[in-house]
Amino acid sequence: MRKSLSKVLAATLSAAMVFAMAGCGSSDKATTDNTNQSATEGTSESSETGEVRGKTMKVMISEEPSTDNALKNALDKWAAESGNTYETIILSNDDQKTKFTSMAKNNSLPDLISTVGIHQLYPEEFVDVSTIVDISKFEQTPLNIIGKAFTEDVYSGLPVQFTTTCFYYNEDLFTQAGIEAPTAENPWTLDQLYENAALLQEKTGVKYGFAADVSRARYDILMYANGGKLVEKDGDTFKITLNSATNVDTLNQFVKANEDGVMPKAIWAGATTDNPVEYFKNGDAAILLSGSWNYNTFANEISKFQYGIMTSPTGSASRSAIIGGGALAVPKNGENSDVAIDFLKWLYTDENFKAYLQNDKGLSSMKGIIYEPESDKARIDYEKLQDEVNQVTETFETDESSSWRVYKDAEYRDTLKRAVSGELTAQEALDSFAKELSAESGWSIAE
Amino acid sequence: MNKKKQAFCHTRAFWMFVAPAFILFTIFFLVPLVLSIGLSFTNFDGWKKMDLIGLKNYIKILKDIEFYKTMIRTFIYTAVNLPFKVILPLLVAVLVTSKLLKGTTFIRTVVYIPVLLSALVVGITINWMFGQEYGLINFLIQNVGGTPLEWALNSKLATFVISFASNWASIGYFMILFIGGINNIPRELFEAANVDGASKVQVFFKIMLPMLSPTIFIVLLLSTVNLLKEYALIQGISLGGPGTSTTYIIQYMFDQGFNQSKYGYASAVGVIVSFVFIIITIIQFKFTKGGGEV
Repeated sequence: MRKSLSKVLAATLSAAMVFAMAGCGSSDKATTDNTNQSATEGTSESSETGEVRGKTMKVMISEEPSTDNALKNALDKWAAESGNTYETIILSNDDQKTKFTSMAKNNSLPDLISTVGIHQLYPEEFVDVSTIVDISKFEQTPLNIIGKAFTEDVYSGLPVQFTTTCFYYNEDLFTQAGIEAPTAENPWTLDQLYENAALLQEKTGVKYGFAADVSRARYDILMYANGGKLVEKDGDTFKITLNSATNVDTLNQFVKANEDGVMPKAIWAGATTDNPVEYFKNGDAAILLSGSWNYNTFANEISKFQYGIMTSPTGSASRSAIIGGGALAVPKNGENSDVAIDFLKWLYTDENFKAYLQNDKGLSSMKGIIYEPESDKARIDYEKLQDEVNQVTETFETDESSSWRVYKDAEYRDTLKRAVSGELTAQEALDSFAKELSAESGWSIAE
Repeated sequence: MNKKKQAFCHTRAFWMFVAPAFILFTIFFLVPLVLSIGLSFTNFDGWKKMDLIGLKNYIKILKDIEFYKTMIRTFIYTAVNLPFKVILPLLVAVLVTSKLLKGTTFIRTVVYIPVLLSALVVGITINWMFGQEYGLINFLIQNVGGTPLEWALNSKLATFVISFASNWASIGYFMILFIGGINNIPRELFEAANVDGASKVQVFFKIMLPMLSPTIFIVLLLSTVNLLKEYALIQGISLGGPGTSTTYIIQYMFDQGFNQSKYGYASAVGVIVSFVFIIITIIQFKFTKGGGEV
């Protein structure tokens, strides 16, 4: 009897261990939150009007939403109105990229994904949203940049967060240094940007005159402003131009600003996890090249100095900006994709999207619907952000149309970092990346 | 008959004990190993592209200058850190097993605490200490009028920070192994040495070290493997920079696979690296005779 009991116990323990380990292995770092699930859980049914009721939609988002998160508020309102419920699955954007394929293969995709680019990389896995919502209601440029697949002529997602690159500046430091912020009528040149950044350091003692996010999209606006481009059209295909003399000059100027200490070299040399946004918030950087998504964070977190949006500088060709953002996409194989479709139809009505945008305080991708800030200062800043959106260059749109990012993306940024660190010269760095991109894409390198 | 039954029971008990470990080993090691070897002959992109391409990945790796640079960097990092990985915990273990020292339990606990932290938490802690802009060390240096050190810009300093973190995080674990080894040395040997008038240094080199050979071998082996596959710590501290100066082979492999979606190529790197690691381990076995001699 005792022997049998021992055997059963041993077998149970072994089985428990196996299951426990298997559980660890399949966690995928995703966390689920049964938000709003208790209200109307029950049998699935469809009303006569075609509306879906009584179902639970699984929504994947990249970070835990705060209570005033615009998407969360929209989901709550939709759930209350529609009689459906939703669960959130948290998976960071990076993890979404590495785990999406496994989830798709295992048929464990959620019903709705809030994502930056997954739908563009794997459009065949997503519902064509032009069959759900009238896409003529959207501004064409953000719709194409955020919603359109990289390699197919299909809209696999709808813009939910529309952002632009922009320059923030510390007003107090500018006043102290006697420097006037540039305006749309009188923008700085790129040379003036670096000169004034150095002047700010000299006159105010600020640690860094200018800092930029470690993102190739931030660096690229300097390249586009100087007339540079990554690729150019060559009939039905493309030619790689990213190692052109113009681009080498832009990178050399950027490297020099880092070498001179005008910019925090550690950030772009790539050996620190420091975030330049923190430098700006702490008053250690006078000018920050980042994006519109930081505006509300700054409004909530910066209290020790005044800050504002500064008109972007003009290079040898023009001013420039890069737009982007997040999209909502519906996986075809989601268990309740019909509920997700119902949600999208609900969200992208004028009334609901306006309410969403007022919460999000972001730029609008829908025609005729804009966020209306309450304060005059915020209104002025939003006008400046809107002006930045208009600075998107044709070269950027051509580069995006090439879908070069399908082949290489983070590698480009890493190449730039190697140039800033001094490991490679600007010419060597860009030549090496041009070769890599050429090998992957099959495009030739322009002479 | 009775003996046969007994033998059968023994065998069955053996397999019952071994089965959980064997199942886990198969699921989490053997299956991925076989898959990885298989994938190394394909151009698998993690999604739908998977064609057999023969030895192309291997040929590409052997022509890739970055692979060689990263391997050499990994070997240098391992060779430089290996003595510290063995000597420091050994000295601490000798210290905390000494009857002359008070508060040894407290010291053991303090030294062991970093072992309980995940590599990423160690990375964050080290960043807090060695951060270039807001780090504790630079803050202290500036407070005494010094010039802050460029931890994130100087490749030697960046490597030092990673080495420091790696040793700090592992010293407690190896200390425990050495304490076990020291406690297993028969007391009579020390007493005899004492009677013969041997000095403390002679006791250490002539008795303790030879008797600790098996432990030293284990520490040497584990340290070598851990150093060769250093990854999480680097992600938490330097991200492989400045430039690629702290990018070691596992990070290179991870980058090729997960960031660049070249799973086939990364698998081939993994296979080559595994062979290299196995050869290093065999050499260590040969040189130390499996811990029989040092």
